[in-house]
Parts: sequence; structure tokens; C-alpha cells
Amino acid sequence: MVRALALLVFLALAWGQEVTVLTHESFSLDKGLIARFERETGLKLRFLKAGDAGETLNRAILTKGAPIADVLYGFDNTFLSRALEADILLPYRSPEVRNLKATLLLDPTFRALPVDYGWVSLNYDRAYFKDRPLPKAPLDLARPEYARLLVVENPATSSPGLAFLMATVAHFGEDGYLDFWARLRDGGVRVAKGWSEAYYTHFSLYKGDRPLVVSYTTSPAAEVYYSEGKYKEPPTGNLFPELAFFQVEFVGILKGTRNLEGAKKVVDWLLSRPVQENIPTEMWVYPARKDAKLPEVFRFAPEPLGSVRLDPKVVAQNRERWIEEWTKVVLQGQSPEAVRRARR
Amino acid sequence: MVRLAQGFLLLFLGFALFYPLFRILALGTGFAQALENPYYLGRYLFSLRYGLLSALLTLALALPLAFLFRRRFPFREVLLALSTLPFVLPTPVVALGFLALLGPRGLLGVDLYGTEALLLLAAVFYNLGLALRILLPVALRLEGPLGAARVLGATPVRALLRVGLPLLLPALGSAGLLVFLYAFSAFGVPLLLGGGRYATLEVEVYTLLAYRLAFPEASALMLLQVLTLGLAAFLYLRIPTYPLAPGGLLPSRRPWLLALGLGLLFLCLFAPLLALFLEVSPRALVQAWASQDFTPLPLALGNSLRFTLLAFLLALPLGVAYGVAARRGGAWDLLGLFPLMVSPVALGLGYLLAYPSWRGSLGLLLLAYALLAYPLLARALLPALRSLPSSLLEAARVLGAGPYRAFLRVELPLLLPALRSGSALALAAILGEFGASLVLWRPEWTTLPLAVYERLGRPGEGPYREAVALAAVLALLSALLFYLLDRGRGRVG
Repeated sequence: MVRALALLVFLALAWGQEVTVLTHESFSLDKGLIARFERETGLKLRFLKAGDAGETLNRAILTKGAPIADVLYGFDNTFLSRALEADILLPYRSPEVRNLKATLLLDPTFRALPVDYGWVSLNYDRAYFKDRPLPKAPLDLARPEYARLLVVENPATSSPGLAFLMATVAHFGEDGYLDFWARLRDGGVRVAKGWSEAYYTHFSLYKGDRPLVVSYTTSPAAEVYYSEGKYKEPPTGNLFPELAFFQVEFVGILKGTRNLEGAKKVVDWLLSRPVQENIPTEMWVYPARKDAKLPEVFRFAPEPLGSVRLDPKVVAQNRERWIEEWTKVVLQGQSPEAVRRARR
Repeated sequence: MVRLAQGFLLLFLGFALFYPLFRILALGTGFAQALENPYYLGRYLFSLRYGLLSALLTLALALPLAFLFRRRFPFREVLLALSTLPFVLPTPVVALGFLALLGPRGLLGVDLYGTEALLLLAAVFYNLGLALRILLPVALRLEGPLGAARVLGATPVRALLRVGLPLLLPALGSAGLLVFLYAFSAFGVPLLLGGGRYATLEVEVYTLLAYRLAFPEASALMLLQVLTLGLAAFLYLRIPTYPLAPGGLLPSRRPWLLALGLGLLFLCLFAPLLALFLEVSPRALVQAWASQDFTPLPLALGNSLRFTLLAFLLALPLGVAYGVAARRGGAWDLLGLFPLMVSPVALGLGYLLAYPSWRGSLGLLLLAYALLAYPLLARALLPALRSLPSSLLEAARVLGAGPYRAFLRVELPLLLPALRSGSALALAAILGEFGASLVLWRPEWTTLPLAVYERLGRPGEGPYREAVALAAVLALLSALLFYLLDRGRGRVG
């Protein structure tokens, strides 16, 4: 009896020493790092993967009353205002904050701390364009000879797709973006369900027939990294920094956490140098820490100059409407004028 | 006995389906507006058409095949095992296979990408095995009635049309209904191969719920789906059933010719799988085995087997209980189709709302998978169960067996072929589905489908090759499972 009770107490304690991180499906870290953290702190880490960045945040908002996790990682700047307005996060000024790049500290209340950042960007297949001219400006993409070569992701089912849509809104303006997409549609742009399909089934580097794809600025570097020495130089390149869309990924502690101390430790750990230096080759983004050394292969992933940023508030107000208008124009073939008329 | 089965089922469905779903629907009000939107209506009509056409096409192919598979010929079991393979493959992998054949740079030189023909082809590819497995146990019992008709002077064709087909109707209805539901609420395939233009209602429900938290519209669309199900089920329940004595495999006059013909047919139909296997390089397999960057193959394999088995242990009694409960048809029959109509996204969200403290624990996850898999098992079981002559059971009861004993000792052995078929389907569904919308993850819990997605989420030749290799392993694993499970020669006892 006593032994059973002791076991129960032990189990209860062990249960209390668990931290659940709600995150998106692309989350990945070195197993050794996770194991070491668990050994050193006595905490058990669990990860709840819930679709992409947007879905993950929505789950946290939906279960506000009874949170399903202690830590939320992976919501980006386009969803930041939604996360802050929904009031699901606790302020936590981690001691690591002073080591982070100041430009990334977008939340002065410290409820959301930046972990990493990156850019969604157009990639092109170098082999295909070796002796053919690349488009010179974003508007050239709408010409039939280039629209036929482009594959994008559906912004309704994919986060890079949404980022690229927003980049076109920022670049061409509220009215111009629909005309641009209408021309892409008429020129024969292809829409894929998600990044994997776009990249591995439609991009000409793999199975497809399209040498232009919406991906990330780090993709060329990843191509080199995973090629086991086959490539000395990336087989792909980045195109149009003015259409690259800047994304910062944040971490925050969820209100109602049953393990605040543990959650704080996890946040500090995500911002610590070992994890920050592991993030680039695990998730192919840039670390938020000033002193984190980038892996060698990141020389192929230079940061684009003059990329677009949208005010998070503007994004929060218009995101759904943009997706809806894009769907009407690109997938249903409506005219931009008709869609604009419907706004009023 | 029936009461107990019904009680067990209700308890489970209430916990794993109705309550979570209620939590979601409770958030939505104001359906009328959503239904007036012509855009949703268009999506709905497309879903209906796609569902109907897929069901008709699949049945048109599965019916003659079921008759041919009554005969004994070389490689019969291998072909049967092949037919259910697509069930376990992650959708991106299937898309890879299809596009390798029929895409813009495909082997066959015809570009069908974005055409409805390709979508229907994919539906047949996915669902043929399903229809075949439901038709076969009943088709095996037709020899007696058909023989009787022939003795009474009917020509083979006439015997088939006037005796065989009416007897097969319940199984045809069962299979057609399932294929319709699967295609009607398909998510991945139309999007993958149709380029976004051909999105079903399910895609709308997904974006409304997951991205926009737009509950009124999402609830309205879900109700629309359920009403459609009600209509389909109502039609299905009109079908009369007849008791049939069990039968065995028939000899074949030219076994090798039959094997060759069917082999060729399967080769054409499952060519996308071949395209996938042709892509596999041994080197990638070796790399995946001891991968540094991703989940290594042995770990993923072990997890897949473990989780699938656990979920199946729950799905099996559920399926049998449902078969017993719905034997007389009626409302119970409808109830068991519900899980197939509910979008996984809605279910995932409902679980989070209904049982937050469980935090998507493994138990909850297994519950969800059992819920998705047991209807398959039950659908394969029902036609066979309903065609069992009641005299057998009555004889057992007269001879002094209690209701349970009579069921376990007399009926269940007679149902084994159907049970095996259904189990194979359920296992396949669970094995391939382990990557749904609500995943509790630790590095050491990654399953095979998740390991495939993990690799497909990174740019690079290495990850891509490993993903293809793992998908092939997944396909082989499920083929092996079927082969082991389904070697039932359709004999009884």
C-alpha cells in the first residue's frame, strides 16, 4: 500500500515535470540537444504538432480556456497581432533577450520573443536558365513566357503560398496585385497544394516542368547541404529580393500553463546558443541570436536586400479577404474589376 | 447480445465523435448566410459529381474483377494484396507516382495534370481495392444460386443478371456508398492533381476551420455533408438482402491466362506505384536506415507497427460490435458511416476543445484512428453478416448454445473471410493515416508516414530520395500485412 502510494506520488511529480510545446509541422531539432536538455533540467519535453504556423496559433486561441500546451512556438509576424490581441500569452523577459537582434524584438511587451527569421522567396532552376534570359523585374513574371514557367502554392492551404501572396500585395498594391495575378492566371501559372508538392513534383529540378518556384532563400543552401558533395555550388538561385517576404518566428508562454518554471526554461533553452546554432540546418532559417555562428553552407543563403514587410495590423485586418480575392481571381477565373467591385 | 453491442458502440461514438463534434458545431450560428454563397454551392456540386462518378467507375471495374477473383489462379493473393496498397501511401507520394506517368514530363507522354480524367483515375486507383474486398466475400457465395439457376435452364448471362446481381446488390451498395463518401470528402487528391481548381467541400471546411476559425460557415458546410450522407444512406438502406450459404474458391480452366490478363490490368492501373518503385535507390534506403538528419527507418518502422496494432485492437471489437448492431439495418447503419463524413480537422479541433487535459495523448490519438478505421472493417463485414442464413444460428440455439456462444462458435467462423478482408482495410487505413491533423510528437515517436513528410518538407536531393525509399517501404509493409492476413482462400472452417 505504502509502496503504491509512493509510486503515485512519484508519478504525480513526474507528470508535473512535463512541458508541452505546441508547434508547427516543420519543427525539428537535434535529438541529442533535446535529450541533453531533459537530462540537465529533469523536464520531459513533448511536442504537439498542429499543421502549419497559422493553424497552430488558431489551436492555441481556440483552447484558450484550457490550454493544451505550455509553450507556443512558430507563429510568425503575420500572425503576431492576432496572437497578442487574443491575449493567450504571458509576458516573459528572458535573460537571453539582450543577446537577440534588436530589430526582431517586435513585441515590446515581451509576450512573444523572436527565435528565428527567414524569407519566402522565388527560386529558379539554374540549369534551365543557363542559356535563357531570366525575368528582369517582378512584372515580367506576368508575361505568358514566364507565367508558364512558374508554380506557386495555394495561399489557402500553405504558408509560403500566403507569404508570397502578401509579397505581391505589398509590391503591387491593393489594386495592382489582382491584375498581376489575373495575368499570371491567363499566362498559365500553376497552383500546387503545398510546398512539398510545388517543389518536388512541379519544380524542374525534380519531377516537374516549372523552373520557377515559390520557396525560401535558404533552399539553394539546403540543396548543397543535402547533396552529399554532389553540388559544390547550388543548383538553384534566388530571384527578386523585392518579392521576398520577411518572416520572424516567435515563442511565447501560454496563459494557464501548469508549469510556468518549466516553460521559462524551455524558452531560455530555445534562445540559447547551442539550439540557435542547430536551428539553421534543422529548419533552414536564420537564428535570432547575435552571437550564433552560421553553418558554413549558409554562405549560399545571403539575406535579400529590400525585401517587403507588411505592418502586422494591416495583415491581421486583411489576410482572409486577400485569400478570398485571390481564390476568386486565380481559381475561379473572375475578373479583377468584379472582385474589386464586390469589396464595396 | 445486440443490445450490448449497441450500447458499447453508442458509448464509444458519444465520447470519440458526437461530443467533440458538438463542441465545434456549438460555436457556429447563422447557417443561412453560408449556404447562400454561390461559391460554396459550386464546391458542393463538384464534390457530389466527383463522388458519384468515382463510385460508378470503381464499381464498373470492381464487379467483373470480383467475379474473376472467385477462381483459383497463380498470384491471386499477391494481386489482391496489391489492390489495397494505395490506401497506405501518403498523398504527396501518390501524386509523385501519377505525375511521373501522366504529368507534364510523364513517361506516357500524355499530360493529364489538372484534368478531371486524372482525378477520376486517381479515385479508381485509391478505391478499387476497397470495393473489391467488400464484393469478394459475397461473390464467393454465389456459386450455389447461380448453379441452381443454370440447372433450371437459364443461360449464364441470364443467371448472372437475374440471380447474381440482385444477390450482390447489398455489397455493391455498401462498396459504392463507401467510395462515394471517400471521394466526396476527399481532401488531398483533387488538390494535388487538380491544381486547386477542383477543391472539394472538405477543403473549404479545412480552410474555414484551421485558418480562419470561421465556425458559422464551417458548421453549415459540415451539416451539408451530413445531410448528403443521410440521403446516400437512405438510398442504400432500400436494398433488400437475401441469405446465402457460404462457398469456396472455384477452379479455373486456364489459370495462367487469367493470371496474365489480370496481371496486365493491374500493371496498368497501379503503374503509379511502379513509377514510385522505379525511383527507389538502394543507397537512399541505406541512408534512411541510419539517417542523421531525420528519423531513422528502423525507429519509424517499429513505431508504425506498434501504433497501428494498438489502434487496430480497438477498431476490431468496434467493427464487430457495429456489424452486430447494424445487422438489421435502419438508423444504426447510418450511424456507423458518420466517422467517414466528419472532417479530420473538425475532429481534431473538437478533441482539443472537449478533452484539453488529455493534450492529444496517445490514448486520444488511438481513439481517433480506431474511429476512422472501424467503419471500413464493418462495411466489409456487414454484407457477409446479412447473407448468413439464420437457420444456422437457430440450430445452434435449439441445440442449447447461448446467444454469445452461438455467435462466437457458429457465426464468427463463417464470417472469417469477410473479417479478414475488413481487417486488412482497417489496418491499411490506420497505417497510412498516421499523420493526421493532430499529432503528438516526440522525436522517438515518428511513424513511417510522418517520416516521409518530414523528409518531403526539406529541399534537397537527399531528403527527396529518402522520402521515396520510405514510401516504398511503407507500401511493401502494407502489402505484406495484407498478404499474411488475407490469404484466406475464402474457405470456411
